Amino acid sequence: MQKDQQYRLGVDVGGTHTDLVLLNTATGEVSVEKVSSTPKNPSLGVLNGVQNFISKGTPPGEIEFFSHGTTITTNALLEMRGAKVGMLITAGYRAVQEIQTQGRDGNPFDYFYDKPEHIAPQSLTREIPGRIGWEGDEVEALDERAVREATRSLKESGVTSIAVVYLFSYANSSHEERTREIILSEFPQAHVSLSSEVLPRIREWPRMSTTLLNAYLGPVLVGYINDLGRGLDAVGVSTQQRFLMQSNGGVMPFSAAVQGGKTVYTLFSGPAAGARASAYLAGEDAQKGIVTLDMGGTSADIAFIEGGSPLEVTEVMLARRPLGVPALDMTTISAGGGSIAWVDRSNFLRVGPRSAGADPGPVCYGKGGTDPTVTDADIALGFLNPEYFLGGSQTLDKQAAELALIDKIGKPLGMTVLEAAAGIRRIVDLRMADEVKVFGAKRGVDPQEFTLLPFGGAGAVHAASVADELGMNRIFVPPRPGAFSAMGLLCTDVVHDYVRSELRPMDQVTSAHAEEVFTSLEARGRAELIQEGLDTENARFERELDVRYTGQGYELRVSLVGLGGHEGLTNEDMVTARQRFDEKHAQIHGHAADDRPVEIVSYRVRLRVDVPKYEPVLLGEANEVSAPKEAIKGTRHAFFGVQGGVDATVYERDTLPLGATFEGPAIVEQFDSTTVLPPGWRGKIDGYRNLILSRGGL
Amino acid sequence: MTKSTQIDPVTVQVLRNKVASLVDEMHYHFYRSGYSTIIRESKDFSCVILDRDGKLIVPPPMFFHGLAYRRFVERIFEVYESEEINDGDMFVSNHPYEAGMPHVSDMGFIAPVFFEGELIAWSGTIAHKADIGGTNPGSTSANSTELYHEGLLLPPMKYVRQGVEDGDVERIILGNSRHPDLVRGDIGAQVAATQMGVTRMKENAERFGGQVISSAFEVILKGAAEELRAAISSLPDGTSSAVGYMDDDGVDRETPVKFAVTITVDGDRATFDFSDAGPQAKGPVNLRPSMVECCVFYCLVGALGPDLQFNGGMVDVVDIKYAPDTVTNATPPAPVSSYQKSNLRLVDVILEAMAHFAPERAIAGSGSSGSLLLSWQGGGREGHSTMQYEIFGSAYGGGQAHDGCSMTATHLSNLHITPIEILESEFPCRVTEMSVIPDSGGPGEYRGGLAFRRRYELLQDALVVRRYEKAKFPATGTSGGNDGRKSRFVRVGVNGDETDLPAAGRYEMKAGEGFFIDKAGGGGYGDPKKRDPEAIISDIAEGYVSIEGAKRDYGYDA
Repeated sequence: MQKDQQYRLGVDVGGTHTDLVLLNTATGEVSVEKVSSTPKNPSLGVLNGVQNFISKGTPPGEIEFFSHGTTITTNALLEMRGAKVGMLITAGYRAVQEIQTQGRDGNPFDYFYDKPEHIAPQSLTREIPGRIGWEGDEVEALDERAVREATRSLKESGVTSIAVVYLFSYANSSHEERTREIILSEFPQAHVSLSSEVLPRIREWPRMSTTLLNAYLGPVLVGYINDLGRGLDAVGVSTQQRFLMQSNGGVMPFSAAVQGGKTVYTLFSGPAAGARASAYLAGEDAQKGIVTLDMGGTSADIAFIEGGSPLEVTEVMLARRPLGVPALDMTTISAGGGSIAWVDRSNFLRVGPRSAGADPGPVCYGKGGTDPTVTDADIALGFLNPEYFLGGSQTLDKQAAELALIDKIGKPLGMTVLEAAAGIRRIVDLRMADEVKVFGAKRGVDPQEFTLLPFGGAGAVHAASVADELGMNRIFVPPRPGAFSAMGLLCTDVVHDYVRSELRPMDQVTSAHAEEVFTSLEARGRAELIQEGLDTENARFERELDVRYTGQGYELRVSLVGLGGHEGLTNEDMVTARQRFDEKHAQIHGHAADDRPVEIVSYRVRLRVDVPKYEPVLLGEANEVSAPKEAIKGTRHAFFGVQGGVDATVYERDTLPLGATFEGPAIVEQFDSTTVLPPGWRGKIDGYRNLILSRGGL
Repeated sequence: MTKSTQIDPVTVQVLRNKVASLVDEMHYHFYRSGYSTIIRESKDFSCVILDRDGKLIVPPPMFFHGLAYRRFVERIFEVYESEEINDGDMFVSNHPYEAGMPHVSDMGFIAPVFFEGELIAWSGTIAHKADIGGTNPGSTSANSTELYHEGLLLPPMKYVRQGVEDGDVERIILGNSRHPDLVRGDIGAQVAATQMGVTRMKENAERFGGQVISSAFEVILKGAAEELRAAISSLPDGTSSAVGYMDDDGVDRETPVKFAVTITVDGDRATFDFSDAGPQAKGPVNLRPSMVECCVFYCLVGALGPDLQFNGGMVDVVDIKYAPDTVTNATPPAPVSSYQKSNLRLVDVILEAMAHFAPERAIAGSGSSGSLLLSWQGGGREGHSTMQYEIFGSAYGGGQAHDGCSMTATHLSNLHITPIEILESEFPCRVTEMSVIPDSGGPGEYRGGLAFRRRYELLQDALVVRRYEKAKFPATGTSGGNDGRKSRFVRVGVNGDETDLPAAGRYEMKAGEGFFIDKAGGGGYGDPKKRDPEAIISDIAEGYVSIEGAKRDYGYDA
């Protein structure tokens, strides 16, 4: 690497703010910028932030690496601003997209139920004769003329993106591939999504839903990435090491994103970046176990990291639609700083699910909000500094918050301002704790010995009382909790996931056949790497099988790590894989049956290519010293319970030296967040400038 | 009602959230440790926390079980003296009459929660068992004529005594089951989930105090009662009746089964009178008050505002009347196995009568749900089960300002359909059609939901059991709307010849033969002539209404 190229840049675009993290690889120094997001033309906000660094003296040509997380596709889906999509399906199966799972979500008592709007309505759906059987055999040949006619009529209807979803295409993709050739010969500009490429997995509805999402959002992402690429060129950020964050915790190069086929992998990139940062930057804690608490404006996202890796799921719901790509296993509750407190008709105090969001925001923002929120409660209780919000660039109106609290909560329930504020906080904190507890129980995880890692603007304001409720003793507050997800963008590898379904009893699958399937998936991965301009030499492949007991309706992912040497998989390896399945089943579900037949449902390959990563730098010895006077900004009366406030010492995070220790009650303020230490908690700055909180002086 | 102890609203809300989280945790724990596919895939079970009288605190996902537990608790108090109910006890029953359980296959376990010597709550679970004896494999039946045909009956009895499980009752249950291994595994999981509820509630009591929990429960139940009372008092006083019919009871094929209700609203009270229901049926479509109550409160919450709280406090606000020996108040040993299709029929009837009071939530009849079972006689597909079992939803009726949802589980039912790719991979059949039936939604200003056609080709001989209805009495239209399309069950011979069969029955079919199922569409709401022409144009474009149908049903010339 040339010596003059020394910066790496991570940019995370959220709904309201865009966070940028610039790493100087020569010095290890990290600088942060926060600018407003520009939803109408999102690349503008990104480029504004980049300009800020440039104008402060960073030569754009010396930025050697650009990594990006964005919610642009997710937002386009939430606002239904995707492409006009047509769909080709196997003739005779129009009801598949209507019935979906047949189940209802939402309030079970509401019989005026509606499914989410169709991405490709029936009027833009065409039936194509041709049928593949369950073993991949051709039952009926593809009607090529029908494909041609369908393409012409969809083109005439103004469709720009076409999804092709044929039954059993995961077992034999030839009909879908031939269909694409015909579509492109008739309609070369069309954006084509094949279900056999987007998600070659058994179960027609999740595959169709995922393919439709890809078709709907692909053009949005491609347009954006092209815009952004041109913008980066224009401001002089010439590096071609440009990457995009994915839901699986890895990145893909821009060159892969503009092909459009992997758009669905980017839909949960935000939470994935935060989890990735936690797993990578909280090294030892991540080995033992971490509960992440990302508390932003509208919600709190909770995830677990065990043995250094975030827990994953293979299917998630997004805007009520199934999406079958690997993503962080996460639970979300409506408990954010902007969550609105209200009194229901039975005079119960409720918090959420409505949120004041960023606009109008909490009452104290003074932007027209009238409903009291969690942030308003936090300011009334003295935890937030009205004069020091976003480093003092914004002031908060405490009085307005108190008036709203008394008006909307205090009066109807006969409570004082402090009682109302403390009540809101108690309800929110206990709900987050209950959610951690139940989510942990569901995943067979006992969080008590874990470390709590709060981030997002409000995470560290609430972390200690959540930990108190859970009996957790250790909290890890990273140096920049408000820009933590952006930090995660500098901590990832290129990761591509490949899957292929082939449902067979395991005892009928020879090791040679399994090897063949894996080899073909890996060949596809290599081919894509070459297309993306990446080095295939350093690619690492991780193989997994989706396995279940015969008759079960869902599968477990079984890792084949360590199996299959130079000669490929052996019969003994297959026996070992079976044993691993039983063990994993016992671990997750509490029991296993090694005498029961099992079946393989899918083969998975995860491909990894290393990219340069941020290395946390030990800044010095963290020998314990009492926090010096110059780090103390004063004291503030804060209410940890309703009964009587206490004077909490207020510290400025950036002036606390390595090794500095202090006792709660204390409040630590910094540009992008606030950390609250109730009485009984102790804080210490470690050698990496992390703020470690421990309870009872442990 | 006694005056509740002073308790602050924050603590009430905290405890309500804690009970909701606990129910969620019990549910998951049960699900992950259950053995049978009934637990694992269909999730046909519920977990609850009840107050000391058996009243539901927060609804479980399978909410309609929630109110049935109270009858079980009441029966325990009738059978046992209070000093005989002790810390560490757990009771079992599957009795539809004595304990209010949905049918014999559904087995309930409940355990008292004691704190400092006081009974403060109950923890309970109900779950469908793979086989509990009776005349049919799997125990459920479309043509039983006595409760005794439906399996072993357990009146409420102790399964665990003060922490000691002696295993006698378990041996009786397993000795009566065709699948004792599955049943043993599920019972183990169920006992553990019930016990988890007890343990967690005791932890909550340690932390908050037993009296605080009792007071919070009282406030929560009273809150639901007051919400419902307020909602009822906002309705006009008056009376409204409705009647509806089910095709037949599965035994006597000539006689339709009559469901009827008269609702009277007087100030802040409502009375639901089911005295005009038909006589109790010979076949297994009878209901008991515990199920009728679930239907009544489901409809009340649905019609008066779906965000009302659903818990045991509601029961104080409503009177329910029955005549003896009727299909909605059967006398033992009348059979009850196919209770769910009766529930769904009754829900349609109650909602039709409710429309008089809450026209903004009026909805036409819906398409009900039914099952299909194929028992493969040629050994099935190697390595897979020979039993193929599917549940099909249907469609909602149209409602005030709302088209009915197409192709969905409806009302009390919410089970998933099995994917075609899974079916063909596991069983020797081919699903050759899964299509939208145009014009199947009942015409109306607001159209009923559409039904689907699903066609099967058999690659081996099979025994086919279909349990459904609505072939004679479709989902009814309302307020000038027309009925939805009737259901069909059609056998297709080797030569392609088609024969209509009854919607409920058992048939031997040969490889090369096949059949198709047309589900019933939802009823229409309001005069079809008033339908927005834009909506008709869109329906034609989407293939939901044919051009001929638009002309015939809506008077619309394309």
